[in-house]
Amino acid sequence: MKPFEEQFTAWVDGKLTGPELAEFEKQLAEHPEAAAEKEGALKLGKLLREHPTVPPLGNPDFFNHQLMQRIAAETPRPVEKKRAFFWSLPRLAWAGAACLAITLVLFQTTIPGGVKHIDKSNYFAQVVENWPGNPNVSASTVYSPDDNVTVVWLDGLDYIPATYALNK
Amino acid sequence: MRLWPAILLLLGLTGLLLAAEPDGVMTLSIPKDVHHPLPGKVDHIWSGVIVATNPENPKEPPPELREFAPRLKRVFGYNQFELAGSATQAIDELTENWLVPSPIFPLSVRARRTTSKEARGGYLLNLQLFQEKRPLVDTEVKLAPGSPLFIRGPQYGKGQVIIVLQVQH
Repeated sequence: MKPFEEQFTAWVDGKLTGPELAEFEKQLAEHPEAAAEKEGALKLGKLLREHPTVPPLGNPDFFNHQLMQRIAAETPRPVEKKRAFFWSLPRLAWAGAACLAITLVLFQTTIPGGVKHIDKSNYFAQVVENWPGNPNVSASTVYSPDDNVTVVWLDGLDYIPATYALNK
Repeated sequence: MRLWPAILLLLGLTGLLLAAEPDGVMTLSIPKDVHHPLPGKVDHIWSGVIVATNPENPKEPPPELREFAPRLKRVFGYNQFELAGSATQAIDELTENWLVPSPIFPLSVRARRTTSKEARGGYLLNLQLFQEKRPLVDTEVKLAPGSPLFIRGPQYGKGQVIIVLQVQH
């Protein structure tokens, strides 16, 4: 059983015939307002048939393509943050301060002696090399920066008794 | 990008022009504080043999050792320093110099003036220390004037022999 609205449309279009028409006209008697609308519905149907509102599209795919392109062009894109070529002034200042700090730390930790051990006195005695005179003797260099003393330290020498005169 | 080599070349040439004297002659820069001996003035090398001991009543060090005594005390741990002998020799860069502060410890010294800035007109010395005729040690050392070098020698009695060497302008 078709719903009333569908039968009404078919009735307005003149497509109901025979027992269907008879049956519908019985129902229509129960809906006098629907019968009153028949005249208006007929006029509207005639108007729509005579003046179609949607012209047939010659190239629907091309039309769709154009439409999508236009939509894409008009849709606002998320703005990408532009990267600056140089750092800003505060960043440069921080980078400079960091470099200076690293340099100071390296200077203090890697350079032997560092700033605190720079000797301002005129003392300078630098042993370049020692060669012991025989295999039993060992020679090393001892430098005491606090006392400004450089010693060639010989070990393994023969003991000299006190009775032996050094300036004979 | 092709301009970079030309720019670098230009900078290099500018640097050369700035480094040159007005008349176009390049000069060498010599450190100003390097000491140059006066003409006719001869440097000397002094050496001494010190006997360091630890007596209960230590004597005052001799005048030659007064300058070094406090430092020697701290480094060697003795409280008395006596000079067993000393010798001074004019430095001759052409020949071997012999110093005999004590007949037991003669020293052979070959000296060459060093251009090292720290040495302040001092010498690069090749020392050979003997105990009588036995060589004890060969040492190559750079010495600035007035900067003594000490050599810890053998034990002597209850003390220690220390040989000292100093360049004197």
